[in-house]
Amino acid sequence: MAAILVSLVIGLPWIGSVVVWLAGNKRSSFQHTTAVVASVLTAITSLVLLAFASADAVIRIPLGASFGELTFVPDGLAVSLTAIAAVVGSLAVIFSVDYMRGDAQLGRYYFLVLFFIGAMIGLVLSGNLLFTFFFWEITALCSYGLISFYNDDPKAVAGGMKALIITQVGGVGLLAGTLVAFAALGSFQVSDLLKNAEAIPAASLAFIAFSFLIAAAAKSAQFPFHTWLPDAMEAPTPISALIHAATMVNAGIYLLARFYPAFESVPSWTMSVLLVGLISATIAALSAVIATDLKRVLAYSTVSQLGYMVYAIGAGGVLASQFHLLSHAVFKALLFLAAGSVIHSVGTRDLRRMGGLGYKMPFVRNVFIVGALALAGIPILNGFWSKELILEVGLEHSSIWAYGIMLFGAGLTAFYTFRMVWLVFFGVEREHLHYHAAGSAMRVSLGILAVGTFVTWLLFGGLNGLLSTTLPFHEIEHESLVELVTAILSAPATWFALVVVAIGVGYSWVRMRGFKFFGGGALQPLVDTAFGFDSLNHFVVQLFSKSAERLRATQTGELNWNILGIIGGLLLVLVVLWMGA
Amino acid sequence: MLTPLNVILFGVVALLGVGFYGLLITRNLIKVVMVLQILVKAVILALVLAGKLSGNMGLGISTAATVIVADTIVAVVGLALAVQVRRRFGTVDVPQISTLRG
Repeated sequence: MAAILVSLVIGLPWIGSVVVWLAGNKRSSFQHTTAVVASVLTAITSLVLLAFASADAVIRIPLGASFGELTFVPDGLAVSLTAIAAVVGSLAVIFSVDYMRGDAQLGRYYFLVLFFIGAMIGLVLSGNLLFTFFFWEITALCSYGLISFYNDDPKAVAGGMKALIITQVGGVGLLAGTLVAFAALGSFQVSDLLKNAEAIPAASLAFIAFSFLIAAAAKSAQFPFHTWLPDAMEAPTPISALIHAATMVNAGIYLLARFYPAFESVPSWTMSVLLVGLISATIAALSAVIATDLKRVLAYSTVSQLGYMVYAIGAGGVLASQFHLLSHAVFKALLFLAAGSVIHSVGTRDLRRMGGLGYKMPFVRNVFIVGALALAGIPILNGFWSKELILEVGLEHSSIWAYGIMLFGAGLTAFYTFRMVWLVFFGVEREHLHYHAAGSAMRVSLGILAVGTFVTWLLFGGLNGLLSTTLPFHEIEHESLVELVTAILSAPATWFALVVVAIGVGYSWVRMRGFKFFGGGALQPLVDTAFGFDSLNHFVVQLFSKSAERLRATQTGELNWNILGIIGGLLLVLVVLWMGA
Repeated sequence: MLTPLNVILFGVVALLGVGFYGLLITRNLIKVVMVLQILVKAVILALVLAGKLSGNMGLGISTAATVIVADTIVAVVGLALAVQVRRRFGTVDVPQISTLRG
């Protein structure tokens, strides 16, 4: 049964993607229907799969002597992420029915979206590292295709290219770590790596651990690879929701959470993870404070919230990170889709031109505020519980200064979230914008997500049960929902955090009274250059393109020179073999 | 030392050497086809030798026969192309052809 469900949950979106593609762009209503049906069926299957979680592989496909077996392991971590990807993904697809109506290239759009969802599910379910890598690369390719979806817009193409190049750095890290693990263990199985981590020589294990950290940081847009995510905002808005909430960026968090038990003992690895999360969370929150593009504010907030999850893993809180991942997926999808209906309606993303839209779009305003409250960490929404859990883990297991910075970040989050809400929905109308009400498909997705934002924290007990019973190496304690609630409400960390959040909201209120929301002061030049990392990226790209330009001279295309190269290479191989033997 | 096997091995290496040297220095398209033929002859000889060494003579010879057929086609097509190139460009000099373009 579990084997059938696992095949379905990967197969359904992929079959759907091919059908949508083959249907052709002339039959657009058929394409909409197929995409929605395929993604909703996937979501239902993924929810059923939750009941069949187990630590053992349910599908084994032998691949010959050198590759071992392709296995699919529906353990707690995998099935919970599968459910998030499938459910949030299907809501993004439903939302697209309104958002993408009338687009000429629906086939390409839905093909990439469904293929993306299937690849993400394959990534988390795969028990073979080599196939994790394959799925990982498919998600990178799909994200590139979707970010550059409007391929007649040079900014979109550049953003997609940037995302592809930076996430490739992560792909190389994952591949290098995988190959070193294979050299040390003779197996690509994830479970073998977790079981026999102590048997690997310390240097090799450290190499694997840090390669995987690079892979995760690049994929989840963490420091120092965080620059691609804000530039990926040229994508259609449902895609932003998909990338930020359901697929793509969760893969990095998944990788860290999956291999945490193996790398825990590597010296300074947990500290590095913690620092990566800390720096990302702070830099991104500061950038969000002065950004003037609605989607960029949300993008920075994603980097910042992912930073909280990475920080939690660094502090040893795998459960806390996964809980926040769940909450974040729901409220960030809600925020993006609500922002999408605002953008779709008024035709601009510039906060300086919006204002006073709340009276015209009350439904969107209400759901957006629900998402914003969750992002800011206001009780009793899901973002509150998970963020408090992370801060509590941080207070217990990391240094006090790290906790202090994260607390400051929580205050910043509250500030920029409310700044965004005021700027879009309240205050005076800064410019007269034409608007129209959100369509029914949009309302369905937004309504479901808004309800989810209120209730997903109630799933804590279930998530905890899944993780604690099916992950033999992670040592996650069993804790029920009631215990969580009492622990959080009685912890001093919660009250600190609430005070800081209240200060953030209050400061935002003060600024709103004075209409002082634009102009970043000393922060502006730093944020414009992405804290210097854009120039770093630029330097690396320049280095490669210049050296490639120089190396062009060696490619004469003349037969004799090519033969000389072949013979030289052959001699080199012979010499190496002779020296080695 | 001078066993039949060693003689054949020497022959393989010598043919390979001649072939690669030819490819390295020649500019004439017809000569390129010729030295490619020499290289393929080295390969055929090596296949028969490998069959003998591994005690799988039949496999070696049949593979060699297949290579002979394939390489005849290569020679025929290569020479035919050379004739066409000569008609079209008035030269069979490889670097000149690649700079002419069209």
